[in-house]
Amino acid sequence: MSKQISEIRILPAFAIARLGSSPDPMDNYDCEIPDHVGFRKIIPAETFYIDPKTGRIIDYKKPDDVRFRDSKKRIRPVAPFLEVWVRFEKENELQPLTMHHLKKLGLKLSDIHWRVRVGNNKAFRRTKDLNDKILSDTSGFENFKRKVLLGKCKNFLSGKTIPYGFGQFIKPNLKFPEIRFRFTPAGGFVYGPPSVSGAPIKAAVYDPKHKWKGHMDDLNDPTVTEPVQIYANDRSSKVRSLGYLDDECDGFIEVEILGKTKTHSAYARVVAGPPTFAPDGVPVRTVHDDLEQALLGHLINEKVDPKEISDILRRALETVRLINTSVMNHALGMAWADSTQGRASTPIMNPNVVDNLAILARHESVLLSLKSGSLAWFARILRGYDQVGDLTDEGRRRMPALMRGADGNHLALTRRMVEKIQHAADLFLQHKPATKD
Amino acid sequence: MKKPEKIQPRNLSAQLQYRGRGNSPGSHPSSAVSNSFPGLEMDFRNIWKNIFEGIVLLEYSNLVTGVDENVDKKIKALISEGPVYELITADEKKMTAPLTGPAHRHNHGLSGEVALEWSNALAEILPKAGQVVRCKFQNNTNRRKHITVDLKVRHFFDVDLNRNGKITSQRVVISRAMAGPGDLTQSLCSPWQNDYRECGCFYWAASRPDYVNVEPGPKGKSRGNNWMEKDRKPGAEANYIVDNFADTRLVTYDELFTGWEQALRFIIAGKDEPPLKPSKK
Repeated sequence: MSKQISEIRILPAFAIARLGSSPDPMDNYDCEIPDHVGFRKIIPAETFYIDPKTGRIIDYKKPDDVRFRDSKKRIRPVAPFLEVWVRFEKENELQPLTMHHLKKLGLKLSDIHWRVRVGNNKAFRRTKDLNDKILSDTSGFENFKRKVLLGKCKNFLSGKTIPYGFGQFIKPNLKFPEIRFRFTPAGGFVYGPPSVSGAPIKAAVYDPKHKWKGHMDDLNDPTVTEPVQIYANDRSSKVRSLGYLDDECDGFIEVEILGKTKTHSAYARVVAGPPTFAPDGVPVRTVHDDLEQALLGHLINEKVDPKEISDILRRALETVRLINTSVMNHALGMAWADSTQGRASTPIMNPNVVDNLAILARHESVLLSLKSGSLAWFARILRGYDQVGDLTDEGRRRMPALMRGADGNHLALTRRMVEKIQHAADLFLQHKPATKD
Repeated sequence: MKKPEKIQPRNLSAQLQYRGRGNSPGSHPSSAVSNSFPGLEMDFRNIWKNIFEGIVLLEYSNLVTGVDENVDKKIKALISEGPVYELITADEKKMTAPLTGPAHRHNHGLSGEVALEWSNALAEILPKAGQVVRCKFQNNTNRRKHITVDLKVRHFFDVDLNRNGKITSQRVVISRAMAGPGDLTQSLCSPWQNDYRECGCFYWAASRPDYVNVEPGPKGKSRGNNWMEKDRKPGAEANYIVDNFADTRLVTYDELFTGWEQALRFIIAGKDEPPLKPSKK
């Protein structure tokens, strides 16, 4: 008798899709680092080519080059695959579930049911009208056809929906027997209420008699989200909403396997957001950093891989490389945000040393000299998570500088990231070669 | 990129890092910004609103905005005067930090407290998931009024529990109780293109570059283009135009709404992708 399923999981558990109107999804790629302080090099990687009608895998190969647009210059959407992993009874490891496993269990592919539930609550978050929530729910399905994700909303005009893309069960074969699903996001279109001709929207979907059209954030309401008034508006002093909506979304990909004696289920999260327009760089603080801290804690109990330290510093370098640091130093960005807190309006850094090339050179020197005392210096000037309210000159110059955190204050890295850098710096000091007096 | 063929269920770190076969780096959370104010791909702050059972917090500060219907009256008191109570400590850990620095007014310094960003402030609370912690709230209209209640910390990730509430299995997917469909993106710009036009968030450079085609200029200082400049040509002298939504030399709101794919260029190695030419088809 075949081993029974103990549990299933979907991996990756959290996937980011990226909008684009091309019908041709983005190829896979990797990033290499040929130069310690240079740009990452984007290189082609093995890519699945799927027949959109049948869900069949046509090919799996490296593309000749990495193209972010199709031949019509439309942006190719990032459409992630989600795999079902399984652990069998009396086994200790998770492995990709395959159609061979199903056969041994006496199950068919049609015993796998998928469901996609994604929503867009942007209008609801402002109006607080539950009928402004937009939800797409496919219900369970088990075939390989593309399932269109239609966002429905009680406050839409009759019969109107917003498409949030597709979900598709990818048909396994002998070469690729794994059970996987693909989430393809929407094209990045803007929707709204009926209005005068020439309005920059793809389609009229929202009934203008409801709150979102004409909504104004109440600045005396302490529960409005910050930043306030970040919606398409009439540019008047009232900042009145035009009632525009987009086709971003987030939610769940759910799977059920109807076993002979038990149904196993799992889910993953997906979000659909804009493309990474500088794809050879990585943000200095990412969702992965925050998830890692939530999962593993803020303290480091194990040896830190030096590559992790290089990666953090590289990300800082990649960020400042594409920022006009001189402009951000005064009157814009955090310099402006500080003045809204009542702080005296002064530049954050000495304007004579804040030019982009100078800042870049400083970051490059730290990255190049990781094994020297620079890291200890860098660790000392990092902003602690509880120092974000320090708007003294010294406090504002802590690293990362000129950037905003999720609380609206100056950015601090996650405590775990700071711990990693501190550990690496401490390790250097412990093994520092003796110097002659 | 070599994919693992098997993963230990307890190796949660490996599961978190797993990219998936055929998936590009841009599909992994390591490509998404988390210093979200409000964010681009998602607003990570929304995850923390429901971290304590029975109450709802504001995504960007320590204010209580709601309580569940079935909570006891001491917890209900947190909202009975409207949204005025702020979480100041949880399990004796501070949720705020002092505001210091020189003020606009001469001879005055800044004072007061700022709410800490949830991810870091709650880092020591998350390991107590499933347990009750003492939470102290302060009324922001009368700082002498406090309410102290014991609240249960939710599990951040999806878990299976035994009868004693002990974790028997954990996955690396964020728990359903923390956010439903549409909740992670709810506080982002609507439409998202608005953010690219008006927000001064130029520090999300991997997703939204700011300073491109940068070269050394006179006296060794940099010169380059604002990413939003419409008319920029390879080889032409670049002069950064400071952001101003009324400046028609920069991409406008309507141009973003209708043609963001053409208006926004990919930046590779700090430089513009080749200019877009109209298709012959």
